[in-house]
Amino acid sequence: MQQQPNEISLQKHGEVTLLDIKGDITAFSEPFLNDAYKNSNSEGAKKILFNFDDKAYINSGGIAVLIQVLAQTKRNNQTIGITGLSEHFKKVFHMVGITKFAVIHPSLDDALKAMS
Amino acid sequence: MDQQTVEINLPNQAGYERVAMGSVAAFAKGVGFLPDRIEDLKTAIAEACINAVQHGNKNRPDARVVVTMSFRDGVLYLSVLDEGDGFKETPKEPDIVRIMNNVDPPVGFGVFLMKKLMDGFEFKKLPDHRNEVRMSMKLGK
Repeated sequence: MQQQPNEISLQKHGEVTLLDIKGDITAFSEPFLNDAYKNSNSEGAKKILFNFDDKAYINSGGIAVLIQVLAQTKRNNQTIGITGLSEHFKKVFHMVGITKFAVIHPSLDDALKAMS
Repeated sequence: MDQQTVEINLPNQAGYERVAMGSVAAFAKGVGFLPDRIEDLKTAIAEACINAVQHGNKNRPDARVVVTMSFRDGVLYLSVLDEGDGFKETPKEPDIVRIMNNVDPPVGFGVFLMKKLMDGFEFKKLPDHRNEVRMSMKLGK
């Protein structure tokens, strides 16, 4: 049962590079997340906001991919925000410790304000 | 198998955990679980199925994953069976700091989430050599 490729658009909002991520986040998402991060990096992004689809299914494979991307952002001294998650996945992200390395914002507007 | 038990037999392929998720969600809703606990159940059953496909059945196309759900005395029981050898040792809890610093690989989140989200969790090796993950969740907790 093949997952659809993630569609990830890159938008600049002042200092913040927004990665708007559509679709479920699983191990299959690895090339799409990595390419999107590479593109934002090549544009010199210092602040990156990951906006997820609130209906997205996120599994441990997707969490592992996301953590590997976050490890790159840490090495590159980038500030990372996350938004768009359902309440359940906010809880899951907190459980696995992603909140030690990225701030989860309640909404896209809140995130853009806080990160600017 | 009693009359209130539901069993689903899945292909051994990534993606089919979504069938188990939908079934468990419908079953849990039917016996009275609230939406936030249903989301916990969906994540837990997805992780169990993914582990069964990848680690238990080693992605073998001829293998199957069997998911069973039942509800007794206020407790929902889930079982996920694969045809593998089981875990040689319980995966250690992932440490995100060590993973972010490239000291540890990014593994172990599936078992970690099942243990955190469910009230009961155990591995069992069955007499027919299949491997079983058993989980439980109390209604109203």
